[in-house]
Amino acid sequence: MAARAACAAVCRRLGQELGSLSVNGSKSSTAQAGGLLLSSVKRAPSSSLHIDVPKDLIKPTITTSDEPDTLYKRLSILVKAHDKAVLDSYEYFAVLAAKELGISIDVHEPPRKMERLTLLKSVHIFKKHRVQYEMRTLYRRFELKHLTGCTANVYLEYIQRNLPEGVAMEVTKTQIQQLPEHIKEPMWEALTKEEDSKS
Amino acid sequence: MAILCWGHGGAGPRKALSPRTEKMDVDLDWPSVYPVAAPFKPSAAPMPVLMGYPVKKGVPMAKEGNRKLLKIPNFLHLTPLGIKRHREALDDFCPEWTAARDCDEECEKHFPTEIDAADSASSGPSIRNPKARVVTLRVKLSSLNLDSHGKKKRIKLAGERFRKTADVLTVTRDRCPVKRHNYDYVLYLLTVLYHEAWKTEEWGENGTEEDMEECVWENSSSEKNVLQTLLQRRAADSSVAPSREVEDYQKCVVRVKNEGENEEILTQYKESVKSLLNLE
Repeated sequence: MAARAACAAVCRRLGQELGSLSVNGSKSSTAQAGGLLLSSVKRAPSSSLHIDVPKDLIKPTITTSDEPDTLYKRLSILVKAHDKAVLDSYEYFAVLAAKELGISIDVHEPPRKMERLTLLKSVHIFKKHRVQYEMRTLYRRFELKHLTGCTANVYLEYIQRNLPEGVAMEVTKTQIQQLPEHIKEPMWEALTKEEDSKS
Repeated sequence: MAILCWGHGGAGPRKALSPRTEKMDVDLDWPSVYPVAAPFKPSAAPMPVLMGYPVKKGVPMAKEGNRKLLKIPNFLHLTPLGIKRHREALDDFCPEWTAARDCDEECEKHFPTEIDAADSASSGPSIRNPKARVVTLRVKLSSLNLDSHGKKKRIKLAGERFRKTADVLTVTRDRCPVKRHNYDYVLYLLTVLYHEAWKTEEWGENGTEEDMEECVWENSSSEKNVLQTLLQRRAADSSVAPSREVEDYQKCVVRVKNEGENEEILTQYKESVKSLLNLE
């Protein structure tokens, strides 16, 4: 009896403190309230409360290096999904993102592929009664032209972080480079010169 | 036996809070409602959404408690305004492509080699992607520093990998386990082909007519045959061999041997032979 009353009193006190916490909305009051019980109780997020992003967020610093950036002549992104509506929305997002960042983009839709299976309907016998399943894979191809390495990395990371569930992506990058240094002149001449100078 | 109940401290059954949609303004900041990818919350999305095929004599299901709306991925966090805000944050990290090299020809002139590589992002039972290892190198032969003998030798060494119409050498490599190894091998192969093309062997100059890639008229058997036939014929007539018809015949024969057999080319050859031998 006494234990029950004590528990009820604890509950009431907890409730009041929880209520006060939700009104304040700051984490410092948790430390002030103290008590072992409070620290173990997790506050459920309420939909009416909105915590703002702190305004003094430090922007990540931009570092520049002396190495020349890689250049991509073409970036070909193939996106595969089972649902056409999802692909349409994703296409709208990818195209808008590319246009905002100043990248030329081209979209087309390769034909879908269907994989069909015919299986027996029943566990045992009944060969004449079957059931058919199909798996539809729908495609969308984005072609981006003339990107620097940094831009490509940024765009691809942005696109891939926002890839919806049930969608897969394959990226083919065509990088352009100058001829390697050792191919500009054949080294046989240099070798013969060395031999002459040695002898 | 004590029954522990956590909560509001015995004030009675809780009243259901009104949904957030009722408190939303028309000009609210939508990216703050859905800043990241989140499941669909019917209390936080103010638009009426109907999803699901209705039961017989029924109406389509509303958004509250609709499982189909939860299953499908929603793009509510990627509205145009949201994308613009993301772009403002990402702009500093995107250097521009230098405008002087916008067209493909200029790219080829300054950067002749092209390297293809593939990446992918997907979810499935396996994290392996066999296409990730493959590296393809494409170079135009005209951009390499080779003389004419070197070019021919290079073409012969490359074999199937060289496509004559586009003058492009394509090397694909996927036998090493890592992309970096394949890339190094491809560059190594390019270097080796280049240097081997500059070498001339002693037996390389003893090539016969069958070894040549292109038909060359001087000192060929066709030239000797033609001149012999003409001499035999002219010996009977005792007149000078006409040079214009021989030239025509020479051009036609060279075309047939180099460009392959075509209707147009064969008709030209026929005309030239007729005029050469004065046939009707």
